[in-house]
Amino acid sequence: MLLKITDLKKQFNGQQILNGIDLSINKGEVVVIIGPSGSGKTTLLRNLNFLEQADSGLMEFAGEKINLAQATKSEIQMVRRKTAMVFQNYNLFKNKTAQENIAEGLIYGHGENAKTANQKAVQALKNLGLDKRKDYYPSQLSGGQQQRIGIARATVLNPEIILFDEPTSALDPELVGTVLKDIQQLAEQGQTMIVVTHQMWFARNVASRVLFFADGEIIESGTPVQIFEHPQKQRTKQFLNALADNY
Amino acid sequence: MFDLNFAKDSFNQILAATPLTLIVALVATIIGLGLAILVVIAREKRILVLSQFLAILVSFIRGTPILVQLYVVYYGLPQLLVLMNEWGWNTNPNGLPAIIIAFSAYGLNAMANLSESIRAAYHSVDFGQYEAALSIGMTPFRAMTQIVIPQLIINLIPNFTNIFLDLIKDTALIYNIGLVEIMGQANIVSSIGFKYLETYTDALIIYIIICWIFAQLFRLVEGKLRQRYFVV
Repeated sequence: MLLKITDLKKQFNGQQILNGIDLSINKGEVVVIIGPSGSGKTTLLRNLNFLEQADSGLMEFAGEKINLAQATKSEIQMVRRKTAMVFQNYNLFKNKTAQENIAEGLIYGHGENAKTANQKAVQALKNLGLDKRKDYYPSQLSGGQQQRIGIARATVLNPEIILFDEPTSALDPELVGTVLKDIQQLAEQGQTMIVVTHQMWFARNVASRVLFFADGEIIESGTPVQIFEHPQKQRTKQFLNALADNY
Repeated sequence: MFDLNFAKDSFNQILAATPLTLIVALVATIIGLGLAILVVIAREKRILVLSQFLAILVSFIRGTPILVQLYVVYYGLPQLLVLMNEWGWNTNPNGLPAIIIAFSAYGLNAMANLSESIRAAYHSVDFGQYEAALSIGMTPFRAMTQIVIPQLIINLIPNFTNIFLDLIKDTALIYNIGLVEIMGQANIVSSIGFKYLETYTDALIIYIIICWIFAQLFRLVEGKLRQRYFVV
């Protein structure tokens, strides 16, 4: 087991957003979280790398046991160095080129020397077929290119887990496929990941486990076949039926 | 009638006072910038009591005329030194140079205005930029210096330019505490020949040229930075 979360709780302004989440993830697993907007999916990811601080809960990760509500600076830093996040709005650094965006984490987050970091960044861009864009700034790149570089920025760090927060939600529909293929490729290479998405075909085809999330709780968890073909809980059925009605 | 020859002859005499105007504006900006950064940190970190006190101080300075602030510092600073002497310090309240009073008053004024502009520039940088930096393992300090502050600076330049130009123009008031800068020199020269319009026109031209040069300079820097990072 790579990551175990026990009884994670989080409130905002008196409203319970995460209501005691228990979650275990094994190495190489692709956990896809689906569910209605506002159900706490993104908050869960943000609590895992301490972009938000949980009210209570325990994390077991990389041999360490961490109290999520009282994590020390060094524990937070350790978790952030062993994870990476891909954001809905890409969040590429606007004052850095494509190459610098990828190299920065290696240099300033992981202490690698600039030369090696830049070589890795160029290689990562070559793998994406974007090496000609290495000196481009984010404002000169399309949304799809930015998100693919955002993914490269995460993978180049060789993290234990990558957290994807609706990586395709801000993209033009025609660009969604390219980005999801990049993520699928990573999954096939054995990268452990948690993916929050509304792309059901991705959940069906790439996930090793699907979690259905609603009202701050994991309502149902299972293989894609179990969740999509034989959902057990009424709330899951309701959600999937609503999706089916929209298509 | 406007005496063009008198205006021409006076121009260089008034121009000679320009360095003092620039020194006061520049030193006040440097002092103000240093203090403003501390004010912003204290206010953004919401340090109890201190942040509330600074918010009131900033609002007080921004809500009062700089001439009043100049007089308050002029009469208040020596008294503060007297008080400090009573507490065991060894200062000379009577020997306080007027230029120090000008630096203090204008520095505090710049602090108040710059701190508000820096806060606005800081909030204009998408918070996601900071979070992305943390998420790849940067420390909060590194995330600020590598990612947030460089973006903040670009956003700050237009307001910074305004504040600096205002300071240059406001230095015209330090004549009131006995310092002879452009306006003071214009007063002195005009009183010699009783030709006020000519000397004030000279002062006007000098202020316009100085402000135009600095405005162009900062615009150039901003343009270069925006071009460099392709920031619209």
